[in-house]
Amino acid sequence: MSLQQRNVIKLILVERFGNVIADVGDIIFQNPSSLYTIVKSADIPLSKVKEALSVLIKYNLATFKLNTDAITAIYSLNVKNILLMLRFPKFINLIKAKFDESYEILVEEILLKGCLTASELIIKVTKRLQEQKNVNILLQELKDNFNSLITAKYVMRLSLQSLKVDELFLLPNIDLKEILAVLNGGNDTLPDAGVYWTINSDRFHQDLRDQLIVNSVTNKFDENMGELMRLLLQQMYVRTDPWVSSSNPIPILEVKEIVKKRNTHPQLVAFFEQYVAILEQDVTGIIRKVGEASGGSFQVEMKHIFTQLTWEAVEEIVNEKFDSKASRIFRLVKSRHYIEPEQIQNLVMIPAKEVKRILYMLLEENFLVVNELKRSATSLGPSKSFTLFHIRLTQVIRTMIELCFKTLYNIMMRRCHEKYLNKRLIDKKHRVDTITHGMRAQGISGDSVLDIEEMITPPENEILERIGKMMKKLSLTEIEIDDTMFLLEMYLMYE
Amino acid sequence: MQEEDSGEDNTFNEDSILELAKSKPNGISNNDIKNEIPNVLPEMWTKSVNKLLKAGTLELFKDKGVLLYKYKDPSTKTEVKGSDNEEKVVYKIIEEAGNKGIWIRDIRFKSNLNMTQLNKVLKSLETKKFIKAVKSVAASKKKVYMLYNLEPDSSVTGGAWYQDQDFESEFVDVLNQQCYRFLDGKREAAIKLGGGPLMCRNRSYASAHDVHKFISELGISKVQLSVDDIESILYTVVLDNKAERTVNPSGEYLYRAINPFLKSPGIVRTTCGICPIVDRCADSGLINPKSCKYLTDWLND
Ligand code: SF4
Repeated sequence: MSLQQRNVIKLILVERFGNVIADVGDIIFQNPSSLYTIVKSADIPLSKVKEALSVLIKYNLATFKLNTDAITAIYSLNVKNILLMLRFPKFINLIKAKFDESYEILVEEILLKGCLTASELIIKVTKRLQEQKNVNILLQELKDNFNSLITAKYVMRLSLQSLKVDELFLLPNIDLKEILAVLNGGNDTLPDAGVYWTINSDRFHQDLRDQLIVNSVTNKFDENMGELMRLLLQQMYVRTDPWVSSSNPIPILEVKEIVKKRNTHPQLVAFFEQYVAILEQDVTGIIRKVGEASGGSFQVEMKHIFTQLTWEAVEEIVNEKFDSKASRIFRLVKSRHYIEPEQIQNLVMIPAKEVKRILYMLLEENFLVVNELKRSATSLGPSKSFTLFHIRLTQVIRTMIELCFKTLYNIMMRRCHEKYLNKRLIDKKHRVDTITHGMRAQGISGDSVLDIEEMITPPENEILERIGKMMKKLSLTEIEIDDTMFLLEMYLMYE
Repeated sequence: MQEEDSGEDNTFNEDSILELAKSKPNGISNNDIKNEIPNVLPEMWTKSVNKLLKAGTLELFKDKGVLLYKYKDPSTKTEVKGSDNEEKVVYKIIEEAGNKGIWIRDIRFKSNLNMTQLNKVLKSLETKKFIKAVKSVAASKKKVYMLYNLEPDSSVTGGAWYQDQDFESEFVDVLNQQCYRFLDGKREAAIKLGGGPLMCRNRSYASAHDVHKFISELGISKVQLSVDDIESILYTVVLDNKAERTVNPSGEYLYRAINPFLKSPGIVRTTCGICPIVDRCADSGLINPKSCKYLTDWLND
């Protein structure tokens, strides 16, 4: 738990839930505490603290357990889930790409609320969509879609006791008639009351992971190879748990059949064996042949893939943070494991002085470590010891994650600050928008609407546009930083 | 090292020739030598004469169209053998080091002289032009000593990549780019030719010989580059993650341009990810994300 992480978490909470919840969150982030202690150290009224805690718990951002005294509860923060909120846009995109809009809105609502019952969810989404569709058809569709989200394990039951795997994904009892009644103003209790659902982040991560792999393979080879990789992963799940470090053997004929049937990539159909051979022979070792029978079967080397990707990312970071000479040296040290400075000089073809400077820099920033080996005392000669450079990847990655948090914090901070600086103008724009929107809804148009719109002067509009662009860039950057964090997290998980 | 090859006979010859020259202060001619040492082949003794001339023990002059060799007294000339003992020892140590040269610390260890003494001796040998100091490329301040007439080894001068002990960075960079250009071109051509991915891959391989030919034809190098030189350059392309290297069945390296897995990671697309003062950046203080100029410039990009 670092300072940078704490800062980021606090900002996330402030942005989404306001200062009180952020303060309470910060206290239990530092030390899991009892209600009494929180009230004492936060200087916030008891009722507010209670409210804050219940919100945090509802969003699954805090948990509690019984203290050793068996009377009080100890609250602690669910750090992982808070950071997960940064990834929500990605989750929504993923669902959008894979299914259609109604799925997207279902997931969006769950993310927005933290957790809710199936009926509540369907009612909410129906209210959002009923203008576009017949309510009866819509209800049926939403019920089916929600059930398939459960079957595909994108959502799961939330429970205080730990559930068994199949209990987690047990379909709820959704009574559409009752829901319709509630929609029409009734207030019956629905049959699935008390069964709460939340998203299953592991399942989303699995998709993000696969997407990352397929994209990477496409970058390195081509579209066809990307498709082959995608199908290999798809077939992998038939026999393999999603998170093992190397998959069970996949019969390649199975994949070939699918490629033929889909026939989306003619080049891949025509040269299927060659593509498989190239992927298998490649130095990156993404797949490994484990059986010869019936065309051969292959293992997907998940852990290995992430080691490769992570190395590449770290090398690229060195490249950007320093320069191409530094990344050249870094890769050399990586490939030799342990290497003496003199050897480095000869192989990288960079002037001696420059090499020294770079080595020192990399050392300073924790990308390299030095091992001193002592020669035996009896041996003569001027140098009594020699120096070996070496990379400890895990250490480098921890440094990288720290840097990610720091960067993330800075970017978020800047975004808040820009918003704050232009608060007056943004608020004004808001008001104008609400008014004109309301007028249009009432069927008023023409000059009177224009008059209101013109309350925002052209220079103000210009500023607003600039701020809008800035916000977009900053938010996009936050998502991109999270991409890096995701990759590094994956590596640490497989490690 | 030629002198050593001819073996002990020659020392014998040299001695006889010297004896002869000493006995005739007016000089000896080729004929004199032939007559006095009849049992030695002319090729052999001419070699000895040449060596003695070079060493300065014999002097050459012409008298009425006849070449004559005259003995030169070692005590009157500036020869090492006439110097004091320390100089002899040091000279010997330096001689042994050959054209790789020897570092002053190592001379000290071997000679057991103290630093002031040694410096004096080296200075004296240097002014007499018996030895010279050559800056080694291995370390900027490191000088090595070798005999005056020797051509320094490439490990000292650095070979093709050095000019006057200065590493020619730009030259190497240009070669690095050109090598990659060649490999990349080869890959592009292979893709154009088509014929299946395997064929494509195999056609995009190139050996250092191929690249060497290309570079030589480009004519960008003032110095003659060897295939090994190109091999070293190609390895830097591999280290830049722009190519991969494999070994073919006959043990030769093959190179091929490759693509990376990832586009540049998100973290380094921001200023903070690559910021040199990130450690000093905090909420309060002069360096902070709210007013940071780097960030502002990046945002207005
Ligand atoms: S905010 Fe500015 S000073 Fe701070 S880390 Fe980012 S770029 Fe560097």
